[in-house]
Amino acid sequence: MKYLLTTLIITIFFGHVNAQKKAVISEKKMVAIPAGKYKPFFITKSDKPLQVTAFKMDETAVTNLEYLEFVKANPQWRKSKANRLFADTNYLKYWESDLIIGEANKDLYNSPVVYVSWFAAQAYSKWKNKKLPTVAEWEFAANAAPKNIKYKSLTDYILDWYSKPNPPHLPNVKSTYQNVYGLYDMHGLIWEWTSNFNSFIGSSDSRGNSEADLKNFCAGGAVNVGDKTDYASFLRYSFRGSLKGNYCIANLGFRCAKDLK
Amino acid sequence: MKTFMYSLLAVALFSCSDMSDRSAFTGEVQKSNTPPVGTLSSESIYQLTDTFQTQDNKSVTLSAFAGKPTVVAMIFTHCTYACPRLTTDIKNVESKLKDEEGKVNFLLVSFDAARDLPDTLKRYARDAGLGENWTLLHGDEEAVRTLSVLLNVQFAKDAEGNFSHSNIISVLDKNGVLNFQKEGLGIDPAEISKVVKQLIQ
Repeated sequence: MKYLLTTLIITIFFGHVNAQKKAVISEKKMVAIPAGKYKPFFITKSDKPLQVTAFKMDETAVTNLEYLEFVKANPQWRKSKANRLFADTNYLKYWESDLIIGEANKDLYNSPVVYVSWFAAQAYSKWKNKKLPTVAEWEFAANAAPKNIKYKSLTDYILDWYSKPNPPHLPNVKSTYQNVYGLYDMHGLIWEWTSNFNSFIGSSDSRGNSEADLKNFCAGGAVNVGDKTDYASFLRYSFRGSLKGNYCIANLGFRCAKDLK
Repeated sequence: MKTFMYSLLAVALFSCSDMSDRSAFTGEVQKSNTPPVGTLSSESIYQLTDTFQTQDNKSVTLSAFAGKPTVVAMIFTHCTYACPRLTTDIKNVESKLKDEEGKVNFLLVSFDAARDLPDTLKRYARDAGLGENWTLLHGDEEAVRTLSVLLNVQFAKDAEGNFSHSNIISVLDKNGVLNFQKEGLGIDPAEISKVVKQLIQ
């Protein structure tokens, strides 16, 4: 009996250790982003650049393995439980089940989690005691120059990525480039949620034909054909503008940020 | 010895289950992300648990508006162009609903977490002649952003602290489910009042 108990204890103990080994994910590294000015792609009424204060940002997008920890701890965010108001039916659609990413996805463990909604990304960030970056923070951080690849211009690099079909498997994080702040894959791997993705960029309604909207339009209209920088931004901003908070789609994931305190 | 072993076993088991379900970590998350227990439909915007302050400085969650249809728009009081028109549009809806007085909530939620504190909202309500069926809400930036996402309202704060925003009037049913939306200014109040009447029945 004693022997049995000892065995049992040892088994449980080591099972525990093994499980932990598998489950422990090293705390995500955050890098410092210095303060700076960011000029919105669509000029706002005041026409002034926005001040971005210094902050920290995850060096990579949140991976499937990391996201698994979140759904383990927050049952309401498991794919079978998630509320449709907060995550549409495509939520985590490639995962095998609530707590299993799946054998078919074994190459994706360290790839960015995608098919996650804005609400899910917000909840994850909060759980980590972090936040989603604002559009200004994200754009400011993403505009930094790559440091470990040869490239003609960041814009060409982005447009090159846009023009390629999706790879059969989403590559792992850190598989593209690192920028001078130390951030990986800001372009070239996925699109990322921002806290205020639904920022006003002008539309046919509302302030209608007012001067403000005209200005928005003019800013867009000022994109000259030779200037691909604006074209890449235009696609990104349009994409954001087309999203709703519960959308879960391919190639859209997120990374967290944090204010400096 | 046996007791000791059992305790050890219990600890081992407990720590295992503790690992797989780190519910201790979820307290805060659940507070802000878990739908309140109750009978709210899974489509209900009233599932949001963020707290807002009314123009009378009363703390409320959106579920306080359950039970009646609610006509809602997002505005800010420093707005000189669109928001006064939006408020007028809703007042026009109200005047089409004279017979339904007291059976409809009219709700304005401010984008301006920094400046539109309850006092300011109260003054705005008085100046605009908004009656007792109107509630004006102040919320923190995150609560306002979340609501804007649910109501499909786009907005951005500019460097001067003003907002560009879409102008949308939404109608929520008694349970807080989004039923109808109208974009634009100077809209026909009859269309919205008709929807509200149907929701009352």
